[in-house]
Amino acid sequence: MNWLTKIFSGDHPAASLPEALRGRLERWRVLEAPALDANHGELRYVIVNTEATGLDPANDRLLAVAAIGIDRGVLAHRDAFEMSLDTPAQTLVALLEFIGKSPVVVFNADLNRQALMAAFETHLGFEPDLEWLDLYWLLPCLFNDKHDRPVRLKDWMKTMAVETFQRHRALGDAFAIAKLFLAAQSRATIRGLRTPRSLMELATTRKRQQRAIRS
Amino acid sequence: MTTAAQALVGASTEFLKRFSPFDQMEPEALDFLGERLQLGHFAKGTTILSPDMGQPRHFFIIQRGKVQASQAGSVAVTEYASMTLGPGECFPIGAISAGRPTTNNYVALEDSFCYQLPARDFMELMRISPEFHVFCTQYIASLLNQSRLQLQTTFSQRAAEQQTMTTPLGHLIKHDPVFVTPDTPTRSALEIMAEQRIGCMVVVDGDHHPVGILTQSDLLPRVVLPEFDLSRPISEVMTSKPHVLSVAATAYDAALEMATHAVRHLLVVDSRERLKGVVSERDLFTLQRIGLRQIRASIEGAEDIEALQRASQDIRQLALNLIAQGIGAEQLTRFISALNDALTRRIITLELGRHDLHGIAFSWIAFGSEGRHEQTLSTDQDNGIVYAAGDADKTEIKRKLLAFAKDVNNALAACGFPLCKGNIMASNPELCLTLEEWQQRFGAWIREPDPQALLNASIFFDFRVLYGNERIGDELRHWLLKAARNNSTFLRMMAHNALQVAPPLGRIRDFVVEDDGMIDLKKSGARLFVDVARILSLRSDVESSSTVQRLRISGQKSGMPDDEIDAMVEGFHFIQLLRLRAQHLDTEHDEPGDNKINPDQLNELDRRILKEAFRQARKLQLRLKLDYQL
Repeated sequence: MNWLTKIFSGDHPAASLPEALRGRLERWRVLEAPALDANHGELRYVIVNTEATGLDPANDRLLAVAAIGIDRGVLAHRDAFEMSLDTPAQTLVALLEFIGKSPVVVFNADLNRQALMAAFETHLGFEPDLEWLDLYWLLPCLFNDKHDRPVRLKDWMKTMAVETFQRHRALGDAFAIAKLFLAAQSRATIRGLRTPRSLMELATTRKRQQRAIRS
Repeated sequence: MTTAAQALVGASTEFLKRFSPFDQMEPEALDFLGERLQLGHFAKGTTILSPDMGQPRHFFIIQRGKVQASQAGSVAVTEYASMTLGPGECFPIGAISAGRPTTNNYVALEDSFCYQLPARDFMELMRISPEFHVFCTQYIASLLNQSRLQLQTTFSQRAAEQQTMTTPLGHLIKHDPVFVTPDTPTRSALEIMAEQRIGCMVVVDGDHHPVGILTQSDLLPRVVLPEFDLSRPISEVMTSKPHVLSVAATAYDAALEMATHAVRHLLVVDSRERLKGVVSERDLFTLQRIGLRQIRASIEGAEDIEALQRASQDIRQLALNLIAQGIGAEQLTRFISALNDALTRRIITLELGRHDLHGIAFSWIAFGSEGRHEQTLSTDQDNGIVYAAGDADKTEIKRKLLAFAKDVNNALAACGFPLCKGNIMASNPELCLTLEEWQQRFGAWIREPDPQALLNASIFFDFRVLYGNERIGDELRHWLLKAARNNSTFLRMMAHNALQVAPPLGRIRDFVVEDDGMIDLKKSGARLFVDVARILSLRSDVESSSTVQRLRISGQKSGMPDDEIDAMVEGFHFIQLLRLRAQHLDTEHDEPGDNKINPDQLNELDRRILKEAFRQARKLQLRLKLDYQL
């Protein structure tokens, strides 16, 4: 069964999506995903960061979402996005369009990814298939000379002398995360980790190890 | 622009406003800048920008971290050899404005964030922001100033070293050359190299003419890795046609030759092309510090005419600095000539890449002041070609050579050597000739001398091969000397021509000046020495084409006392020096005013020396008068 038929049948939230949004979603869906074995300098990553009423994705509500592109190794000021969730379906479709099929970089996927996926499911009726990279796990692998275990965004910003114009807001924190990712990219390249795939594997392995230690 | 983008732009402009020139920048220009900036990150130790990256694609502003800028060349052209840049500082300014590669290496000293602005946006920013424009132009001007001052101090400190630059190679050779014949088994040659601890082995033929060289750096790629059979003769692994210079060439020439061809050893030969010794890069290593590497880099690395145009400007600039510094005329004219040679050779090489002259044997010949190694800053081009061809394919070969020569002539013109008004250029079919045709041409001048024709032909007698087979040039010279020596009518007419202009010495006043109160130091100064020296050299079989060498060698041959010879040479040099001083970077080549000075504006000392120099010219002319009873 095709996903559209599934979505647009019966009382599914997505069934009530306006035609225009449906068309945009369909266009997003057929976009080609970049090769995960391409070099950092050849593709675009998108930093995504959410702002919510609290830190519990199960009960708190998303307020806003921001995204910043890192295209072929650099952050261009024009390549930035921020919207409130006042009109959730509109915002989420626009966010998907901004991301395209680029790998998504977040700080603390447990929070951001879950909150976003829940919102996608609720308002669009499906969970988009995206590649995720979590700096929370990646940074301590690359910068073990600074922190050898996961620490908070605030601590990384302090250690790496990264500033932003506004903390605890979707775009402000996204900007800080984007800068951390730029630094991570150069450190990774020096260590021979030149592709999104290699970074994702590193972060995932680290996360698994950490979980294994705890259990 | 989305509000999100505006927020990021705002964040970066807030940062920039803490630094000059952005704190004074017009708001709309600052917005333009912020909107187009990209943020990048450079890990500690990575190179952000270097000369070999070519034209910079971005203008960088450091946001956080430290970047070290260090001179890439061997001579500091600024007051810093290296400096550290921090947040708010930007680079490169000169290079990106001029669209040329930077001369610095920029390396991240620590993990650094840098804003980068695409080059075309930088240009647009210069256009729309007067504030930024002033900032950049002032910066460039201060750099130029720095570089000028720096060069002056550099060169004054090295005045002593400079002296060594004119040492003839004959004096630099430390020991007798070690050589083998082409049929020597490679193993024996290598054993000698090991035993004597020498860096290269020269291969000579039965007449002691060098035919090849094998250096230590050739061993790995040619002998060791291919597992070359060591019992085979050395001629199979050597570099044939090794780079050769004459014993009379200077250390300058050698350093430049090494720099231009990227070789570490040069073979030195006597006037009969016999091996006299080897000069290595190490022998010249003190010379490595005078910026030859830089000059080499700019000339040798030039991939197009634009790059050579810049190199030619650099040569002029350097020459002017040296003048200001008080460098001697001989060193300076040789220096200019040597660099111009390298420039010409590079142009020829570049043009050869665009013309298929495969299998055509030809030599590019310089006449006139370039042929004499006496170029000043104001020289138009005088050149020709000697080529070899059978009767069958001659027309086709000549057609190809002329097309090639035309492009070389135009490229030279683009690099500041104006096209010759008298059409003495290789692209002129009359001057692109086979050896036999050149011999006929010289033969006609010598056998049936006509005063007017000879006057025009005199510069052809000062020639040397700039590119290609030097043998052809030598052959022509031998033939010419022989033909001239035995023809007194021809020599007498040359002498008659040489005496047409008398030195501008007055009976009552010190100097006879032209209507405008000036003396033309070329027409009534340098040329007097040049013309006499040419005749002396033709008469006494002197192969050199340089005026000073001709005076010295022919003077010695005719038993002139050394101090008299010195006085003549000094006189010629002083006039050359005044000429150089009178030439300015900002005048076009061969402007009428270029070689003129007003004697009233000289200081007393210079006036006296100039007077003495003219007296020396008069003395030379007098000798000629007596010799030929004119």
